[in-house]
Amino acid sequence: MAVDADKCTGCQACVVACQSENNIPINEPDHFLQRRAIQWIRIERYWEGEFPDVKARFVPMLCQHCENAPCESVCPVFATYHNNEGLNVQVYNRCIGTRFCANNDPWNVRFFNFWEPVWPEPLRNQLNTDVTVRSRGIMEKCPFCIQRIRRTTRDAGIEGREVEDGDVVPACVQSCPTNALVFGDLNDSSSQVAHLREDGRQYRILDHLGTEPSVHYLAKIDPYAASEGEHA
Amino acid sequence: MALTRRQLLKYSGLGLLGAVVFAGCRIPDREFIAESPVMIPEDLVYGDDHYFATLARPNTGVESVLVRVMQGRAKKIEGNPDYPMSRGKHSAQAEAVLQELYHPDRIATPLRRVGDRGAGEFESISWDEALDELAARLNDHLVNPDTIALITGPLRGTLGTVVSQFADNYQLRRYAFEAVDQTAVRTVFNRMYGQDRLPTFDVQNAHYVLSFGADFLSHWHAPLHYNWHYGEFRGETGGRGKLVQIEPRFSLTAANADRWVYANPGTEGVLAMAMAKVILDSREGNPDGMAALRETIEFNALPMETVEEITGVKAGVIETLAHDFAANQPGVAIGGGLAAAQTNGLFNMTAVYMLNALVGSVGKKGGVIFNPPAPIPNVVSSAATNPLMDFQRLADDFRGNRINAVLVRGVDPAYGTPGSMQFGRAMRENVPFIASFSNFMDETTLLADLVLPDMATLEAWGDDVPEPGPGYEAGALQQPVVMPFVEGRAFGDVLLALVDDLGGRTTIKLPWANIQEAVRAEAQELWIKNRGSVQQFSNFEEFWVAILQRGGWWDTNATAPAPQAPDLSADPGKALPAFSGGASTYPFHLLPFPSHSMGDGSDAHLPWLQATPDPITTAVWSTWVEVNPRDADALDIREGDVVTVESAQGAIEAQVYVNPATAPGTVSVPMGQGHSSFGRYAEGVGSNVMEVLDAVSDETTGAFAWGATRVRIEKTGRRERVRKFEGMVVAQTLPHRTVYEISTGNGGGAH
Ligand code: SF4
Ligand code: SF4
Repeated sequence: MAVDADKCTGCQACVVACQSENNIPINEPDHFLQRRAIQWIRIERYWEGEFPDVKARFVPMLCQHCENAPCESVCPVFATYHNNEGLNVQVYNRCIGTRFCANNDPWNVRFFNFWEPVWPEPLRNQLNTDVTVRSRGIMEKCPFCIQRIRRTTRDAGIEGREVEDGDVVPACVQSCPTNALVFGDLNDSSSQVAHLREDGRQYRILDHLGTEPSVHYLAKIDPYAASEGEHA
Repeated sequence: MALTRRQLLKYSGLGLLGAVVFAGCRIPDREFIAESPVMIPEDLVYGDDHYFATLARPNTGVESVLVRVMQGRAKKIEGNPDYPMSRGKHSAQAEAVLQELYHPDRIATPLRRVGDRGAGEFESISWDEALDELAARLNDHLVNPDTIALITGPLRGTLGTVVSQFADNYQLRRYAFEAVDQTAVRTVFNRMYGQDRLPTFDVQNAHYVLSFGADFLSHWHAPLHYNWHYGEFRGETGGRGKLVQIEPRFSLTAANADRWVYANPGTEGVLAMAMAKVILDSREGNPDGMAALRETIEFNALPMETVEEITGVKAGVIETLAHDFAANQPGVAIGGGLAAAQTNGLFNMTAVYMLNALVGSVGKKGGVIFNPPAPIPNVVSSAATNPLMDFQRLADDFRGNRINAVLVRGVDPAYGTPGSMQFGRAMRENVPFIASFSNFMDETTLLADLVLPDMATLEAWGDDVPEPGPGYEAGALQQPVVMPFVEGRAFGDVLLALVDDLGGRTTIKLPWANIQEAVRAEAQELWIKNRGSVQQFSNFEEFWVAILQRGGWWDTNATAPAPQAPDLSADPGKALPAFSGGASTYPFHLLPFPSHSMGDGSDAHLPWLQATPDPITTAVWSTWVEVNPRDADALDIREGDVVTVESAQGAIEAQVYVNPATAPGTVSVPMGQGHSSFGRYAEGVGSNVMEVLDAVSDETTGAFAWGATRVRIEKTGRRERVRKFEGMVVAQTLPHRTVYEISTGNGGGAH
């Protein structure tokens, strides 16, 4: 996946699209106070400066699908694993809730279900039947909408063709009105993501940890950038 | 072997089938999700799904969407890739329309009031009873139709046509209500160019966008459409455009601008006029534009020192921006939001929109593009609303017992008008009969004698003429994608059914049995035109299926005629703003803003939107007040302190959020919360900022000046942690490591 930080407006369309697609429990008011709200994709907002020379920067944050994922090696039951397409996925009904993976994930994009999810009737009717409803006591995270990858692969198979670049669209990418999010196969050198990876603005977040994230960011462009160097 | 239902359940429990099985063929009470014990997400197998094109109508405007329907249930909203206004995209707000459909607090049957007004005691009645009662009560008052008020939201398309013809037919008073109205912008385009419809600002193709208060990336006009424009504007092709946002509040658009310039509240017109003068004096404008506007600019522009003092913007900045704007064409100046919500809103908008004429970007790519009306004459293609002044007069008429019946549909004026107007109270105490067509028990519906539940958007027929449009003729269709979930009836269908039961005049024909028939009748006219995106069908039924599948119809060749020179003969009103509340008692300018996700509060009942973080503060499920760090120090308050925000009209409580981007001397509070009645997810959350706003309006247009109230801040001594997303993850500073990187130009090295 590639994320163009110069295009992201912070509109939150991706966030709600993900909640809807992936049966994410309703984030009730208390969940925020307990720091237990679940958002597989979130928009981080960073402040720079103070009035009147102030900037707010938006960074969409989701599982980076690390090549050397530190969350995987610590799972005692192999509930989190690497599939052969390079995705980091979670087998929900194998998870026993040790939360080791969350401890080991530097991006904080794994979430623990502290409660049984509740959708008062008839809100449950909306739930996506392609996606498991996670019960209490297990971890969950962004699998790049694997159900959509499977559906597309299956449909392409039925039609007797190969999956092409742009065929697979995770829910966040599909909604993003500015096209800040781009999804594709990094191994396919002709794909749009592979091109974006070569862009002069490309960088990876926490690259120095050596986990080889698969999400490539493109730097925000700011012709009036106040200062050079460190931001955190 | 024939499979029984019991067997199917058994097999799916053992196998790899992740399927949904309904308990019966009627609406089931519950769904079973059958899962294998060792199912990994990769192995999921799917049921059959269908996609239908229809409309979603969230608070941010109408969007053409595709709905994924499985086993009779709507599962997912997705943008309609074909439709020119959405291009496959949809907003967070549109997604939540699913929760409107399956909301646990939807009103399921017609209700008749049994207890006191406003006590919330109702009995469930049948539709026959409800319609009989409605017709009987209206017939009582039809001898005097001017005592019947019909209040709806802004309505476009066929429903707009049906409602206005119904009102005209019986000569009822008709009102369109919107808490944050666009009257000033509409008036300017009407006066200057004779346009009844909002134009489109071609941000996508602009090199320079100069926006005065228009928060078009969050909540102004068509945010989904403008977010899409913005993505293109930042694109590689054609270079990266520059966006300058001028406004007293740091809005989402200001956060995304290349440069945010603070100007004192209400002084945007003075500033724009000064820029116009700079462009005129340096002869950088378009020759025709300069000739047409010279007189107006020279008459209105103030000396630069005075402008500096009034606006708080340095002369050097004004000059640079003016030169930049003139030099980087095509460019577009946009005005709205807080700049229009002042007592001098019309002047501000006139001055801002003059800039486009001055540089010659009206009617040009990358400038202001006009939209032709709907191709079919009667279809309403403008969602103009009544200014606040009209509702003030209506409230006076309630108090003067000049109104006998109120019919209200889908809007909540008892909640959404300034507290000092006492609109709800006047209605409760003085109006003999109130009927509400609503899906939810909002504050206005709570006062009703008769409640007639409407259909949810995904259950009903309808259409829309987008406003602003794509620059050419376009229309979108709405079809039911699921069976009605409760016993609702579409508002339009009820009105059409009433025609038979009402006596009185029938001068205007309402020949259709229901809205579906009306929409089809209009589609028939389109079919006969035989042009545009769906054409060359010999048979109407095939054409009808084709436009339903496509979600609408448009004709890229049918653009608006070239604009005339602007007419500036009408008086734009006073140049300087007036504020409610003296500066010594009320030291802060209150700059309210529509909630990013819930708007004016009409979507506050949807849990996804309550839990969507405000992009700037990341706050959720609450009402907060944004205060500048130095002001907070001076007041000795910090984040989480509960304070009262008090004006001469009233006071509300809010939690302090210290915002480094809030200008000193201003405070900001989001709209949309503080519902006393609106379902479990809205009730009791936060405060309603309308209660502190004074009902002041623009003298010329009567539009609500919601940015013109001054307040003071008092501590209550209580503290509560702010519910917000920020801090969910503990922030750690990593030396010499960046989370986000900044590049100073295209392709330039990141640092
Ligand atoms: S970002 Fe976190 S959860 Fe995702 S693969 Fe890397 S370590 Fe694991
Ligand atoms: S949808 Fe796109 S523009 Fe909106 S917040 Fe997400 S990444 Fe940013």
